[in-house]
Amino acid sequence: MPPVHPSDSRFSGRSPRLSASRRRFLQLSGAALSGAVLTNCARNIGSGSTDASPASPASSSGGGDNTLHVYSWSAYIDDDLLKSFEQETGIKVVADIYDSNETMLAKIQAGGGKQYSIIYPSDYMVGQMAELNLLSPIDKERVPGYSDLLAQWKSPSYDVDNKDSIPYAWGTTGLVYNTEVLTKPVTDWSYLWDNKKQLSGKMTLLNDVREVMGFTLKSLGFSNSSKDPKQIEAAYKKLAQLKPAISSFTTDGWRDQIVVGDLLLSHAYSVDGIDAMASNPKLQYVIPSSGATVWTDTIVIPKAAPNVDAAYKWIAYTINPETAATVLARLKFATPNRKTLELLPKELRENPALIPPDAVLKKCEVLANVDTATDLYDRYWTQLTSG
Amino acid sequence: MATSAPLPPVPGAHSSTDTVAAKLKRKLVSLIQPTVLLGPAGIWLFLLLVVPTLMILELSLIPGFRPGEPAGAYGLGNYTKIFELIDGQPIYLWVIARSVLFSVGSMLICLFLGFPVAYWIAIMAPKRWQNLLLVSFVLPLWTSSLLRSYAWITILRPTGVLNSLLGVFNLPPVDILNTQTAVMIGLAYNYLPYMVLILYSSLEKLDQRLLEAASDLGATPQQGFWKVTVPQTLPGIAAGCLLVFITNLGDFVVPELLGGASSMTMARLVYNQFLGATRNWGFGSGLSMVLILGVSIAIALLLKYGDQKAEDF
Repeated sequence: MPPVHPSDSRFSGRSPRLSASRRRFLQLSGAALSGAVLTNCARNIGSGSTDASPASPASSSGGGDNTLHVYSWSAYIDDDLLKSFEQETGIKVVADIYDSNETMLAKIQAGGGKQYSIIYPSDYMVGQMAELNLLSPIDKERVPGYSDLLAQWKSPSYDVDNKDSIPYAWGTTGLVYNTEVLTKPVTDWSYLWDNKKQLSGKMTLLNDVREVMGFTLKSLGFSNSSKDPKQIEAAYKKLAQLKPAISSFTTDGWRDQIVVGDLLLSHAYSVDGIDAMASNPKLQYVIPSSGATVWTDTIVIPKAAPNVDAAYKWIAYTINPETAATVLARLKFATPNRKTLELLPKELRENPALIPPDAVLKKCEVLANVDTATDLYDRYWTQLTSG
Repeated sequence: MATSAPLPPVPGAHSSTDTVAAKLKRKLVSLIQPTVLLGPAGIWLFLLLVVPTLMILELSLIPGFRPGEPAGAYGLGNYTKIFELIDGQPIYLWVIARSVLFSVGSMLICLFLGFPVAYWIAIMAPKRWQNLLLVSFVLPLWTSSLLRSYAWITILRPTGVLNSLLGVFNLPPVDILNTQTAVMIGLAYNYLPYMVLILYSSLEKLDQRLLEAASDLGATPQQGFWKVTVPQTLPGIAAGCLLVFITNLGDFVVPELLGGASSMTMARLVYNQFLGATRNWGFGSGLSMVLILGVSIAIALLLKYGDQKAEDF
């Protein structure tokens, strides 16, 4: 919500004594202002509900043959990439950025699908978008190097045979901790419960219902995408025991605090965990032994995409091993492509935090769509964060 | 509009029809003129406030509506869900109660910090400094509220500015980041300038002769304050409190950044329904309507209360 700026009229040309009516005007306008702000809040969130609302200011220019509209996580787009693509193909790229899969979906459903030719949804979102009939099947003939995908990504559970998506980058969700204070190595999720006292107020979990419930389900020996109400309840009860020790649920806010030592342990995506290790060598990112989430960001082409040819050129260009290796090495993402992997610098390729050994990876699981059980997850999540 | 000026009465048969036409014309102009000026704002409000609110109202009447899925029949399911018990706890009501608690708490902090400041600027500070003082008080608003909240993280965290200062004076450190106290501090800080502005405009009108009269009649300064100053500024206090209360109620950033693991508020809950994993837009709309209703009641109270008091003067 943007801050409310008081109107300048309160200061400029203010007479030394305000009349009663003027004062009342100030009071009333203040009230009206705040009312408007609040309703605006609701409006901003609700505006995606109909197809009638304009999708984005740039939608008018979506048809041009030489323009490609890309909707992406901020990490995957940078000026160098856009410039070199433009030089090579002569296609101008307009990139928009989103910060959560759900935000992206809301915008696409509001009509943005007609504008973008390339989107980067994560695994479970590919399934959801396919169910909503928003994606167009990928023509593998037009994706050079498709056969170089590692075996695990040839037919991932979220999109059988990669019908609608091309896996682009992947990582895990584990724990990053301060090895100077926590001298005993953290190996599994159970560490959180066993060392509740020491970690109290010095531990954060991700602000993501599925990731948090998912690892608790894993620690109980269930699937991280369980739809069984009994298992979900058991996970909630186990989390409730941990709750008093949790400082906050945050996806980004932990980074500064763990680097300076205010926090001892954080639940984190591998990208962020490995990045934090670079800022403070005392930090260590681990993938717990009972298995973590393995997530994949993919490239898809929406059903209503304009300029599909340019979209395939973009896919070919970005998954080209040399381009991909440069981008992914900088971002510390793992790659699902064998040839790209070979091009990664040795210290990244052999970093078990980035690319876990097969034995560990076998226990990891993709977060799958849980359909109607999402309501149950959400209720427990509200309860957990409200209690 | 010179042509519409009344013509001087001319003797003749057709003069009466002229005046009728002129009258009609004047009436028409008086009807159209305000519409021309109010039109743009009216259209703006109608298209961007009234219509979307009605859309939210409609969504809120479809239980469990999710975009992309066939909409069910109309019903009140989204509203009854607010009273739902989970493990015997009315969790959604708790969320609403927490939002109200945060709002009231920070409103009181704003009032107790803001009143002395406004009093000082309006009555005791040299007149020529008043504008400068007011501007300096509003200056923090020129920074994004997001950045201001991040600044509080730096101040309140365990090894932050506050604890370093306490350490200098050999005082024990406090750990208030990620607590409800932190949320109230953050909210109060964000909305204090509004409180000060409104109280200032109210206090500046204070009739100081009444205070002198009170003291002539033997009132102590305390009595003078409570029996003269406070009653006269009551509309300002009410307006300031309600403004802070209303804006706090919908604040999303501060509880999110400073509140820690138990900081779910209305705004956050609504956000989760729309952009979280559940995507239950129906329930989210229901919650939004409850929030809009609560705020409307507060504004209605303000209008009524403010009116009466203003007429008393």
